[in-house]
Amino acid sequence: MKQAIDALQNGGDAMGSYVGLILVLAAANGAARLASRFAIVGAAQRVEADLRDALYGAYQSFAPEFYNRHSTGELMTRASSDVSAVRSLLGFGFVSLVGTAMAFIGAIAAMLAVDPWLTLCAMAPLPVLVTLARRFNTELHARTEAMQEQLGVLSGRVQETLAGMAVVRAYTLESRMAAAFAADNRALLDRSVSLAAIQARFTPLMSLIAGVGVLIVLWVGGLSVVQERITLGALVAFNGYLAYLAWPTVALGLTLSVVRRGLTSVARIEEIVQARRSTEPAGPPLAESPSIRFSGLTFAYPGRPAVLSDIDLDVAPGEVVAVVGPTGSGKSTLGLLLSRLWPPPPGTVFVCGHDVTRVPLGTLRATVGWVPQEAFLFSRSIDDNVSLGRDGVDGETVRAAAAVAAIDEEIESFFEGYRTVVGERGLTVSGGQRQRLALARALAGEPRLLVLDDVFASVDAATEDRVIKALRASGRTMLVITHRLRVAQVADRVLVLEGGRIVERGTHAELVQRGRLYARLWRMQQLEEEIASA
Amino acid sequence: MRDAGAEQDDVLGRAFDRRLAGRLWTAARREHRLLAAALALFPLIAAAELAQPYLLKVAIDSHILTADWVGLAVTAGLYALTLAALYALRMVEAYLMAVAGQRVTHDLRGALFGHLLRLEAAFFDRNPVGRLMTRVLNDVEAVSEAFTSGLLAIVADVITLSGVVAIMLWMDWRLALVTFAIVPVLAGAAAYFRLRARDAYREVRRRLAVLNGFLQESLQGMTVIQLFARERQELGAFRRLNRDYRRAVFRSTVFEASLYASVEALGSVALALLIWYGSGQIVGGALTFGALVAFIQYTNRFFLPIRDLGAKYTVMQAAMASAERIFGLLDREPRIVSPTVGRATAATTISNGPPTSLAERAPVATTVRQPAIEFDQVWFAYEAGAPVLTDLSFRVARGEHLAIVGATGEGKSTCARLLTRAYDVTRGRILVEGRDVREWDLARLRRHVGTVFQDTVLFAGSVADNLRVDGNGDAAMTRAALDAAHAATFVASLPGGLDEPLGERGSKISHGQRQLLAIARALVYNPPVLVLDEATSSVDPESEWMIREGMKRLLAGRTSVTIAHRLSTIQHADRIIVLHRGRVHEEGTHVELLRRHGLYARLWELGQSAATV
Repeated sequence: MKQAIDALQNGGDAMGSYVGLILVLAAANGAARLASRFAIVGAAQRVEADLRDALYGAYQSFAPEFYNRHSTGELMTRASSDVSAVRSLLGFGFVSLVGTAMAFIGAIAAMLAVDPWLTLCAMAPLPVLVTLARRFNTELHARTEAMQEQLGVLSGRVQETLAGMAVVRAYTLESRMAAAFAADNRALLDRSVSLAAIQARFTPLMSLIAGVGVLIVLWVGGLSVVQERITLGALVAFNGYLAYLAWPTVALGLTLSVVRRGLTSVARIEEIVQARRSTEPAGPPLAESPSIRFSGLTFAYPGRPAVLSDIDLDVAPGEVVAVVGPTGSGKSTLGLLLSRLWPPPPGTVFVCGHDVTRVPLGTLRATVGWVPQEAFLFSRSIDDNVSLGRDGVDGETVRAAAAVAAIDEEIESFFEGYRTVVGERGLTVSGGQRQRLALARALAGEPRLLVLDDVFASVDAATEDRVIKALRASGRTMLVITHRLRVAQVADRVLVLEGGRIVERGTHAELVQRGRLYARLWRMQQLEEEIASA
Repeated sequence: MRDAGAEQDDVLGRAFDRRLAGRLWTAARREHRLLAAALALFPLIAAAELAQPYLLKVAIDSHILTADWVGLAVTAGLYALTLAALYALRMVEAYLMAVAGQRVTHDLRGALFGHLLRLEAAFFDRNPVGRLMTRVLNDVEAVSEAFTSGLLAIVADVITLSGVVAIMLWMDWRLALVTFAIVPVLAGAAAYFRLRARDAYREVRRRLAVLNGFLQESLQGMTVIQLFARERQELGAFRRLNRDYRRAVFRSTVFEASLYASVEALGSVALALLIWYGSGQIVGGALTFGALVAFIQYTNRFFLPIRDLGAKYTVMQAAMASAERIFGLLDREPRIVSPTVGRATAATTISNGPPTSLAERAPVATTVRQPAIEFDQVWFAYEAGAPVLTDLSFRVARGEHLAIVGATGEGKSTCARLLTRAYDVTRGRILVEGRDVREWDLARLRRHVGTVFQDTVLFAGSVADNLRVDGNGDAAMTRAALDAAHAATFVASLPGGLDEPLGERGSKISHGQRQLLAIARALVYNPPVLVLDEATSSVDPESEWMIREGMKRLLAGRTSVTIAHRLSTIQHADRIIVLHRGRVHEEGTHVELLRRHGLYARLWELGQSAATV
């Protein structure tokens, strides 16, 4: 352009070729931009997808303890907003940063070729720019993080309230929930506005500094032209270069905030991904005869008093042991430790003679079929919910398991039988049906050991009876945690837990004779039945 | 099968919809003053911005070419002034816009959340929590961006563009027309890409919704995935969804980037035209150097907003799609609501409005002795064609303790849900205190009939927060309720006692302990009618016995309905009804029912026989 204008000043015949050159350069520029954009943005999207995969993989590797500390909403935020912020960082942020850098390098080189002194003057505001950008960066980081954190709090609130709507409705908690939400929402607004305030001061600053460069060139360059030190074409070209730099400089503010937010998010994602533990694939079950042994087990959840103390217990192959005891006596913890959802201290919990902390998880969980108290169903078909796509679990196995869990007839009465979709987005099933589906799910894997944690709480006595009988008949080793002494009665042995300790053990008859806690519980049930049948 | 109320994620996304824009504008009415202030700044900003190239022209033509030092100093001073003014104006404008946008987000979020709280249970059966969270968190943000980076930015661009066009025409209309010659090509390119981008963008939203739904469910069912070593398969499924989403995003990027590049290229073409034509003019003496320099800068300003049109279009489209979903949700009227005041007062003389004292919450005194609860030929189905209750009728006298038993899945819990209008009956009617529940003020009905659910839900606050529902419950009342629910001992053993935080959904205490707290909560709530839906299913017999002892006092004079399958827990009930196939199969006291040798006797016998083996 400079050449063109200088040529112009000198009468200019060569104009046509210059215009052609500009056109060619423009076309090349456009093509290069497009290609680089696709390459970089495409790569950024790949990284985004990979990060999301990595996050998901990490989530899968965390024990229940992790889920006690982090709400679903918060974890969702990391996999959505944070991952998107990283994409922006790598896509827009990177393109923009590289573009800015290239623009500066190119323009400065061109400007130096025209006039070094003027270039120096034009670039004088640059150090100020860098200093300011740094200062703002720190502040932006802090405020972005504060805003993100509050967003996590808010989403946790929404999630919890929506999931608990039944209670919100029944207890007319609407206004209280709305007030709690409003407080969190207000805090988010305050933090967002505080972030916006700093951005509002920062972003226009960039164009101010770019403008100062133009001003300097106008003054110093103007004088130079008057002094005939440089040509008018040189000055015009200079202005052109500065104009070319104006946009990247202005965009720098936006870019930096995108970069900041992206880096904050990278840290939040890293925190999770770094903590990832190795997940182990399904393994063959242990071959030894199916037994359970607790040996001097004392266990406490972090920051809590011991929930289990000095537990010693041997469950022989084929034996059925019932665990009873008051609420909160540590019964459910036994199941969590056996399937190593919480790691027990080494050398305290043994399955088939192996210390569970040394058995690969896949193998351990293929050996121990643990049915938790609260049954979870996916929004998938009953077939998928029971089989979970496991190898060797075909339709026949599913049906057999459903029959043992006494849920088969009900399933067949559903609209689409085993293909009926249940869960959040499907058919609403009752608590008892959910529990029996979860039982069927465990049975379909044909575990050698079965640990049932109060799975009949929402199942009527007749059904419960049918299921227990079928399970006994299969000769499985079972640890049955229950509140109903009726089940305890059919067990080979009964274990009574109180305050995390075994206070009694023996057969039902022995315990009744001993006249302690179990006998008391039993007598109470008996008494009630006597009074009732009188 | 979805009902019409199910929230859909695949809403067609248009970049501009006048109806939606109108509603958005209304939704932002509280911020109109802020927005108006920001709008008022636009012309000033445009003026300051556009003055700069002109000042350059003056400097070159009038001062530099004529060696006028003083004039150059004055012009440079003016230029500095425009710079300072621009900084101040832009800062204020950016701040106003951001605040307005954030406030709109805040208000819409509040409105959405408040609206969700009013919707009935059937809505939540159909709409997973994850999807609704997307509405409240992400969609709302997209809408606020519509204001800051979308609508208002477009207004600002239009003002700047008009200014540029006007100045260029004024300075040299022929030169201006040469530059504008490129505009039709530009418009064509923009229209083409816009059309193609629309579908691509819609696909992106749809895939994202599927991906988030999957993730949410995985997080909730993680224990199951881990127990059955399904990590690899689930990760595979997640990867596929994630890849589909990425591909959809990339397709939308292609269009956006192509538009950007075409505008950039066309801008260069315009510049080349300008120089080619302009140089001819200068040679002919019809144009000054300064004017050409200014023109080149104006051309840059002209293309800048057009170049970013693609990005803005994307923002707007996302915003409109989000707005559509948000308003769709807000328009979804709650189907279970209090009757309008007129109808309610016509139907009864009982005062409407929230109760102001505990006395007012006592059973409503009516002259005619009516049953506290009456189910009158009730039919109900969650899904059309699969009735759960068929012609169910029964009554509960005031102060009576009724028990409902039956096999699993016979609709016992459904009765509890219908009683407080979580759902409405399909046919027939339910009367509470002689009055159809549909004629009750909802809040009053739900204060009158309290329920303890089978699935216990506690919230993340402290023990005390969870107990003091609906603002009532002083320390003494709380303590009494905890004692009665046999929860006092374990609460005392918590490190923080009553102030101990319970974690998300009460995850820090055991399932049984949660049930105890839920019972205590109901007692603090102190309703005249108490419904216990398998409330003690996960409590050991000893605790259950103690709860019952404690509750005897609290239930005295209160009407109660106990739903259970553990027959031992309900023998002391005044009357028992046995549900079978959606209707009352048997009815009577425990002794009467045993004598009848019917279904109840069989259920009882089974329970007994297992116990005597």
